[in-house]
Amino acid sequence: MSSVRPSTATDLPAPVRTISAPFHVDYTYVAGVGRSVYLRGMAERRFLARRCPGCGQVYFPAPQHCARCLQVLDPPFEIPGTGAVSTFCIVNLPFPGQLVEPPYVVAYINLDGTGNKLQHRVLEVAPGDVAVGMQVEPVWTDDDRLEPSLASVRYFRPADPALRDGGHDA
Amino acid sequence: MSTSLTAPYTTAFDFERTVGPRIGVFLAGLRERRLLGVRGSRGRVLCPVAEFDPVTAEATGDYVELDPVGTVTAWTWVDPRPADPLDSPFAWALVRIDGADDSFFHRVDTGGDPSLLSSGLRVRVRWAAETVGSIEDIVCFEPVTDDEPSGSAPSGSAP
Ligand SMILES: [Zn+2]
Repeated sequence: MSSVRPSTATDLPAPVRTISAPFHVDYTYVAGVGRSVYLRGMAERRFLARRCPGCGQVYFPAPQHCARCLQVLDPPFEIPGTGAVSTFCIVNLPFPGQLVEPPYVVAYINLDGTGNKLQHRVLEVAPGDVAVGMQVEPVWTDDDRLEPSLASVRYFRPADPALRDGGHDA
Repeated sequence: MSTSLTAPYTTAFDFERTVGPRIGVFLAGLRERRLLGVRGSRGRVLCPVAEFDPVTAEATGDYVELDPVGTVTAWTWVDPRPADPLDSPFAWALVRIDGADDSFFHRVDTGGDPSLLSSGLRVRVRWAAETVGSIEDIVCFEPVTDDEPSGSAPSGSAP
């Protein structure tokens, strides 16, 4: 008995070309003791940074241990949250879940008083007017939307009011 | 203040992806409730269809038509996840389709009873009510019952 039957080219269906292959993972994010310090600060409109007692590096957001010398970081202290654009890109592509209508700027920001960079949107300015070195300041969300998350900072904007165009409002 | 915050997170991408031309024919066959295999190197029959022979890496050859019946060779028992089409626990199993020389990885449904499952169990395809050209056109395999011949026409094509 054979259940294998040859199939000729003429009786084969036309091939499927694409399939839906959704990727979906539900999980629990654990911030860690160190990063929870900065997250709790966000809910209070505070930028809480921490300094390494060994090498002097200041982190925001801060982990629990220095990435360079592994020492436990000192207790948190508040920084103003202002900074300078280190590098940036102009987002032109729409995507699901996007909070701002493109085009808009996403930048790495050197926060004043720290030694690492923070990624965030830079709005209230035409994308073409953003420049490396531009001074920026945070814009907080309304009180009733504050949460232990970087989302409490809606975006950054030029610190100099003369450089703002007021056109973007995330 | 010394405890860690936690939060539920979801990462999701609605990917649509291309399949190879031969796998595409295999999937289109499922839409017609047909189980196709393909000849690999040394005449081996591969089901599901592969673009290349997994041993020699040579391009595969002619298609063959197979009965949607096979034998469980290995299995593991699991609880259903939200995305699974079965409500009760089932097995992920390797099924050697009659006439094929390799294994088909898919679910086996024994109605939630693991004692009904064993290596060597004869199983057949349970087709989806609506087929679209996807591996999910096969909901699962299910045990072949005593009152049906094991090499009969594909189920699901009956009225
Ligand atoms: Zn250090």
